[in-house]
Amino acid sequence: MITEDDIIIVDDMRRDMSLTERFYLPQIAQGLSVTLRRMFTKRVTLQYPEMRREPKLEGDLTDPHSQLNASRYRGVHRLNRDPDGRVACVACFMCETACPAHCIHIDAAESPWPDREKYPAKFDIDELRCIYCGMCEEACPVDAIELTYEYDLVGNTRNEMIFDKGKLLEVFDETCQIKPRRNPRITGYAGTGSPDHQPARPTGEQH
Amino acid sequence: MNASLPYLIYALFAVGGAGIYLALPRSGRSTAVPGSILGLAAVGMFVAVVAKYALPSEGAGFSYLFSAMALIGAGRVVTHPKAVYCVLYFVLVIISVSMLLVLQGAEFLAIALIVVYAGAILVTYAFVLMLSQQSASVPGDVRSREPFLAVLAGFFTMACIAGQVGDLPLAAAPSSEQVIRLAQHGEADQAVMPEMMVDGNTAAMGAALMTKYVVTLETTGVLLLVALVGAMAVAKKRVPIEESPDPEKPLGQVGREAAPF
Amino acid sequence: MLDLLKNQLLFSGLLIAVLMGAINLGVAYCTFYERKISAWIQNREGPNRVGFFGLFWGFHFWGYGQPMADGLKFLLKEEMIPDKADKPLYVMAPAISFIVSTIGIAVIPWGGYLDIDADGIVDVACQVANPDIGLLYVLGVGSLGVYGVVLGAWASNNKYSLFGGIRAAAQMLSYEIPLGLAILVVVLSCGEVRLENIVRAQIEGGGTWNVFVHPLAFFLLFVTQLAETNRAPFDMAESEQELVGGFHTEYGALKFALFFLSEYTHMIINSAFLCVLFLGGWHFPWIPGLGLEDTAWWAVLAKMAMLGTKIAGCVFVYMWIRWTLPRFRFDQLMRLAWKGLIPTGLGLVALAVVMTYFGIPGSESVWPKLIWGLGGNAAVLFMVVLVVGMSPAGVTGRQANMPPISLLSPAKRVPRADQGTAN
Repeated sequence: MITEDDIIIVDDMRRDMSLTERFYLPQIAQGLSVTLRRMFTKRVTLQYPEMRREPKLEGDLTDPHSQLNASRYRGVHRLNRDPDGRVACVACFMCETACPAHCIHIDAAESPWPDREKYPAKFDIDELRCIYCGMCEEACPVDAIELTYEYDLVGNTRNEMIFDKGKLLEVFDETCQIKPRRNPRITGYAGTGSPDHQPARPTGEQH
Repeated sequence: MNASLPYLIYALFAVGGAGIYLALPRSGRSTAVPGSILGLAAVGMFVAVVAKYALPSEGAGFSYLFSAMALIGAGRVVTHPKAVYCVLYFVLVIISVSMLLVLQGAEFLAIALIVVYAGAILVTYAFVLMLSQQSASVPGDVRSREPFLAVLAGFFTMACIAGQVGDLPLAAAPSSEQVIRLAQHGEADQAVMPEMMVDGNTAAMGAALMTKYVVTLETTGVLLLVALVGAMAVAKKRVPIEESPDPEKPLGQVGREAAPF
Repeated sequence: MLDLLKNQLLFSGLLIAVLMGAINLGVAYCTFYERKISAWIQNREGPNRVGFFGLFWGFHFWGYGQPMADGLKFLLKEEMIPDKADKPLYVMAPAISFIVSTIGIAVIPWGGYLDIDADGIVDVACQVANPDIGLLYVLGVGSLGVYGVVLGAWASNNKYSLFGGIRAAAQMLSYEIPLGLAILVVVLSCGEVRLENIVRAQIEGGGTWNVFVHPLAFFLLFVTQLAETNRAPFDMAESEQELVGGFHTEYGALKFALFFLSEYTHMIINSAFLCVLFLGGWHFPWIPGLGLEDTAWWAVLAKMAMLGTKIAGCVFVYMWIRWTLPRFRFDQLMRLAWKGLIPTGLGLVALAVVMTYFGIPGSESVWPKLIWGLGGNAAVLFMVVLVVGMSPAGVTGRQANMPPISLLSPAKRVPRADQGTAN
């Protein structure tokens, strides 16, 4: 309920107009000069198919018209491979549970590898249904699912836009040069072949 | 000229009047079709009579065309049940009449007619009538009021005017040729007329208005001004400024003030 | 062949054909440049993709094929007539709008007189018709322009459209008066109503275009023409934000395209009119071939090009204003017309009358005209500013019937930060 005290009158709205304002023309001339100057400034348009924003992970990311912050952009998903080339997912269903659009479908199966219990026999993401909120990425305990910087995703049919495990791994292969996989934070599993493995956690929190 | 011709013309007026009377919108069974046929027949016969007796002249075909357009349009102004269409037919009449004026070499009058009537007055009509209902369902739209008296008065006036202009027996006026001659070579205008007539008559018209008819013109202007002031005096409603019950909360400030931007 | 062209009637027919083509093409590219200019003002590129059907090795010519694509789209859209619309009027309204805005080209003097076979005798006038009432003809045709809008609005049977139509009618009626006053100033100072002779009067008077003698009248005419064409900031009739398009809400496909075309045609014709009345028509000093005595075909073409350039400049200003200024509120619109433009116009007419009485417009020298004209305009402007300054101050964003500011309790008045006023 609105009480008396809630009524606030901003004094600016009540200001008497000055003579130039009442006479319109000086103000109009001012406005016209602004737009005229605007006409000769640099265009901000990016001519999309020919010009693209360059995805970068670090460095100078201050110019939003030529660079795209690859570490933050929420584009097409990928399913990461561990350093041995296997799918990193452990089929824990965290992402499927977290997904607000219910676009992730996982079939878990017993893992053929000794270091985990399960792995995804099927992993489908409906890219048309996805809202690209990134909650799957946040939920994933092993950093297996990630959103990439790829934004121009097109297809001819709806079925084509349902990405299965193989397709998602392909996306990883295509994008891992520019955006490498981050190291897993929780399981501590770093694979065997990673020379620059470092724990992601600050040392003080390690027990 | 045939002595019985005037009475033939009056008879045609009567036929036309009967047609209009029948075609006027009314409640009950519509007689618009026989009325329209009668009216069109009257217009056609009138054109035939005029064509028989008129002197051959340049642009006569256009003259007949625009006259017929004006007559039929004027008939539709009073007989169409939808008010907006009536305004449109009125515009048609105005344009046809202004074309007739152009044919007579009176371009200024033609354009003045269009600017004043079609451009201003009828737009105001349209402005008001647009607020009327689109489907003519109101009784006032469907039924015309006092159709017989209106038609009688209208066509009697028309007969009288026709008698004034031409050689009809209702009035003993100078013939139209004499009128035109007088207007063109009137004494007061002779000083300004001759050279300007070569270039068209707008300048001559302006000169006549500003010399010979200046008092009339100014009187008309003052009359219109008085009417304007009077209309504003009548229309202006004095609304007493309401006292705000609460001096802390003045009028018009009851809820939250919405800033315009 | 050349002898046939010497006939003014046939030449006028040819001119009509050429002008209709040129103006329709001009209108198409006006829509293109409208989008371009709006884009430039907003730091964008605007349409730059459509070329000419992929010809020329796929080169897209900076989007110059866009108007063709737009026209094709309008042609191929479905023609719809709303169920409850008044069908005859609904179909007629765009046509009326387009015809009325187009017939104004008839009296514009596009290029002076033409001597076709170069024998020193002027053969034809480069003008479709040169009636005795040329200027009033434009006025009359312009005053009919509102019918298309009003009828389209009414026939659509849509309340928003009706609002648009009513606004258009009221606006048009109010702005006809200052329009007439501004034109009257020109008529008084040139002593002519034939447009060709008005151009001639401006050239013969030492090349003083009317805009140099009567700048305020020029401004007045420009503002009222903005209102007559329903262009921003006077586009109350179609205001997209409140009335979702106003009078053309219910229109689509080619009928909408006709409304669209008529708006731009109206702009072009009005600009031509403005150029002829105030900017010396096809005349430009210091350029050879643009004088009264030049009647060869190349000189006439140069004159037409010059007038075209001036028209393009005026149309650019129309667009520039549209993408700069926000729309007027309706009471502001009416106040501007009745309390601002009409008194100013009356003052200018009085000035022109006084100048005519002292024989200033007919003088051979340039200086008396400039001194009288500019001095008088300054006086009128001073009077206007004086009246504006002395009238009670309007307050932004307030209705007139609200109490004065002093009644507001001080506790609730929050000063704006950068004003720094007390309380």
